[in-house]
Amino acid sequence: MTQLILFNITNGLIIGAFYVLMALGLSLILNLSNVINFAHGGFLVIGGYIAYTITPYVGFWGALVVAPLFTAGLGLLVERVLIRQVYGRDPLYSLLLTFGLAFIIEDGTRFIWGAQGKPVTVPAILAQPLSYEFFFLTGYRLFMVAMVVLAVALLFVMLRYTRLGIRIRAGTLDLETVAAMGINVQMLRSLNFAAGIYLAGLSGVLAAGQLGLEPTMGTGLLMPSFIAIIVGGVGSLTGTLIGGLLIGVASGVTAVFLPAASEAIMYVLMAVILLLRPRGLLGEEGMLT
Amino acid sequence: MPMPGIAGRFDRRAVLKGAVALGALGVGSPFIVKARAETPIRIGMVDPLTGVYAAVAQNEVTGAKLAVEQVNAEGGILGRPIELLVEDSANDVGTGVQKARKLIERDQVTFLIGDVNSGVAQAIAQVSNEKKVLHIVSGGHTDTITGSDCKWNVFRVCNTTSMEANSVSELLFNKYGKKWHFITPDYAFGHTLQAAAAADLKKLGGAMTGNELTPLGTSDFSAYLIKARAANPDVVLVLAQGSDMVNCLKQMVQFGLDKQMHVAGLQQELESLEAMPPEARIGIWMFEWYWKQPGVPGVEQFVADIRKMNGGKVPTARHWFGYTSLHTLAGIANQEQSTDAVKLARALGSYELPPEVKLQPNKCYYRAGDHQLMTSAFVGEAQAHGKDDPEDLFRVDQVIAGDKTAPAESATGCKLQWPA
Repeated sequence: MTQLILFNITNGLIIGAFYVLMALGLSLILNLSNVINFAHGGFLVIGGYIAYTITPYVGFWGALVVAPLFTAGLGLLVERVLIRQVYGRDPLYSLLLTFGLAFIIEDGTRFIWGAQGKPVTVPAILAQPLSYEFFFLTGYRLFMVAMVVLAVALLFVMLRYTRLGIRIRAGTLDLETVAAMGINVQMLRSLNFAAGIYLAGLSGVLAAGQLGLEPTMGTGLLMPSFIAIIVGGVGSLTGTLIGGLLIGVASGVTAVFLPAASEAIMYVLMAVILLLRPRGLLGEEGMLT
Repeated sequence: MPMPGIAGRFDRRAVLKGAVALGALGVGSPFIVKARAETPIRIGMVDPLTGVYAAVAQNEVTGAKLAVEQVNAEGGILGRPIELLVEDSANDVGTGVQKARKLIERDQVTFLIGDVNSGVAQAIAQVSNEKKVLHIVSGGHTDTITGSDCKWNVFRVCNTTSMEANSVSELLFNKYGKKWHFITPDYAFGHTLQAAAAADLKKLGGAMTGNELTPLGTSDFSAYLIKARAANPDVVLVLAQGSDMVNCLKQMVQFGLDKQMHVAGLQQELESLEAMPPEARIGIWMFEWYWKQPGVPGVEQFVADIRKMNGGKVPTARHWFGYTSLHTLAGIANQEQSTDAVKLARALGSYELPPEVKLQPNKCYYRAGDHQLMTSAFVGEAQAHGKDDPEDLFRVDQVIAGDKTAPAESATGCKLQWPA
């Protein structure tokens, strides 16, 4: 039993890492632009389908590079045409807009690629378990974790050390002052939105290799990402990171004892955290990371 | 890196409200397909056009549409054209019931078809029964629909879960071993399918090492697979369907579990096999209908007709379910020269499908005692690649007649209560 629990903790960390990637993208957009992006799962799906479409021409590795960039480009377009219109308004506007957008993306995906799932094959070198005992540690799952670690590290370096990152952080603190200092806030929001969507696109490509690709896959992956943000604390990227890993592990361990509750445990965890610490784990005012 | 003020502008409550709204995504506004004609006989069809069963549901609709074209070309029902009204149940019981009521009460449909999801099918059967509308369950398999919860007005085209288990259990036992572990979707269909297979296993003298109940829409099966392997079974039977099955088989193969134990299942569908990478197309299964049946009358024409409507792709069992459901209603109404639900339901009790509809070698008929269609099981093995056609992903080894796999009428628990 101890071995089973340890297996599931490790497994939960792997799953949690994936939630982190999704949640960080959501969190970026939420923090700077006050937009709860319900269409984030839709962009994940788009990333996956683009990867599926271009893989025959550029291979898996090419798709891993191109598909998230293409998705980010699409996100930039959506931000400029749609999302920008609701900045500064009641958050309900952006909520409804992205909610509708999620439906449009899902049906659009179904219209273009069909309702039937699509097979995505990962490179043979990644498709094998690393050992007989730890069979769930496949090359691909560890590759996913490595990609998440890399993306998170790059994101944190960008936010801390680059001019763009410092402006984004400043913008999350006080956007008006940032604007008063002559910084193009519209551009800042656009780039930040595109960065968030890039993470969604990357999640989509990685998910396509692990799961079956189908138009509704984003919806199921979006909810844990929201929970990760709430558990970690709105406004804290480090909190999001911890929140994602925590719900992954909780879900994995629960599956050992009570499989039917493995999904519900995420909500229970969220409720407990909110009761004990309403701001989430690291969601104190004055904390970003 | 401090970031004060964020919680103030878009606080936790707003995020929570958003999360609640997100939950509504799954039951959101449906996709509606409608066809119009003059002085028609309306047939309502409720199927999950969105969600995890969207692909199979859309194929059922396509099959029904082909049947509508054929029946209308031959004069329709009692000289009136058929109008097919399709509603999306969104894989949700509440939505399905609401759509069934809308079709019956507002659109005044004469007959009802649906649903893929057993839970939804069972729920809308309550509605059709209350409204005395002849109803054919096209693709919901759980036993009780034509068993303990059977109704005078409800008939079923697809196999029951017991029929599915009975068709393949012995072969699985003889070929793969006596210790079975189940990955079961946690709703009506999964429960009865697992129970039927477990009962067969017990009769054969085998033992169950465990049963993992997985919520519908599970994307990551690793936690369940860790438990399954720890139980050390001879075979893991994947009972999940649709994208859940695709995810599960894909992950089992990535984990190398297919090299450590057998991987198979009971019900398999072409839609699922096509959505998997070739290496995941493994194991013994049963199909409820298969497109490659050399020499069986009508099959070649049906394949050609569906290819025309389906972007060149071959028909699946789901196309046949939709096609057969609609042809059954049209056939019996024209035979009896009536649309009276009670009269037609009584007549259907001894109705045998004609060759151009049954599209299989064995006799195919509705049983009077439980209203279940005695349709064949196509038992065989999944193939990584098609030999002559890229969609030939299943090798049929035997076609077993429905009355060989179905439990006796007396054993189904069905007691039909006819209206006074």
